[in-house]
Amino acid sequence: MKKHLGRQAGVQTVEVSLIDGKVDVTPKEDGQIDPAQLLKATYDSGVSVAELDMTARGKIVKDSSGSLAIQVAPNRSFVLAPNELSKELEPFVDSPTQVTVRGQLYKKPAGKKKGDTSAPLKLSILEVQKKE
Amino acid sequence: MNTKRVALLVLLGSMVVVPVAQAQIKHIEMRVEGMT
Repeated sequence: MKKHLGRQAGVQTVEVSLIDGKVDVTPKEDGQIDPAQLLKATYDSGVSVAELDMTARGKIVKDSSGSLAIQVAPNRSFVLAPNELSKELEPFVDSPTQVTVRGQLYKKPAGKKKGDTSAPLKLSILEVQKKE
Repeated sequence: MNTKRVALLVLLGSMVVVPVAQAQIKHIEMRVEGMT
């Protein structure tokens, strides 16, 4: 799996901990990394993903459907799942403020052996680390 | 001469700072099951 993930676009390093089933991925600074692709590649390597957490820095925007999103690259943004922390970021919509957040992008549905990795990913913010 | 050096240092410094400050995915962590 480590090799499989290491070959994905935008991946710099992959650290796998067999003991606690944790996989740490450090992206390259080229902005090419795609969490959805990473999720798919992990499933393709025969391993089931229970959770995927992401730390990202970007601007808060509203997408075409009016949902709050964090834009991490000119052509890549992640819709924010509404919660208390996402409400806190609403005043920063379309402002030049860059925020760094940690959130959960994927969680396997309880009771299912295999999650649906094709569903659109929403970022559920767990922590707002920085506003600058 | 000194002004040119300072300008060059500022230019080089900004080239280092800009990639660090730009928007990006900084880290991804997955919890997986069924790994042997």
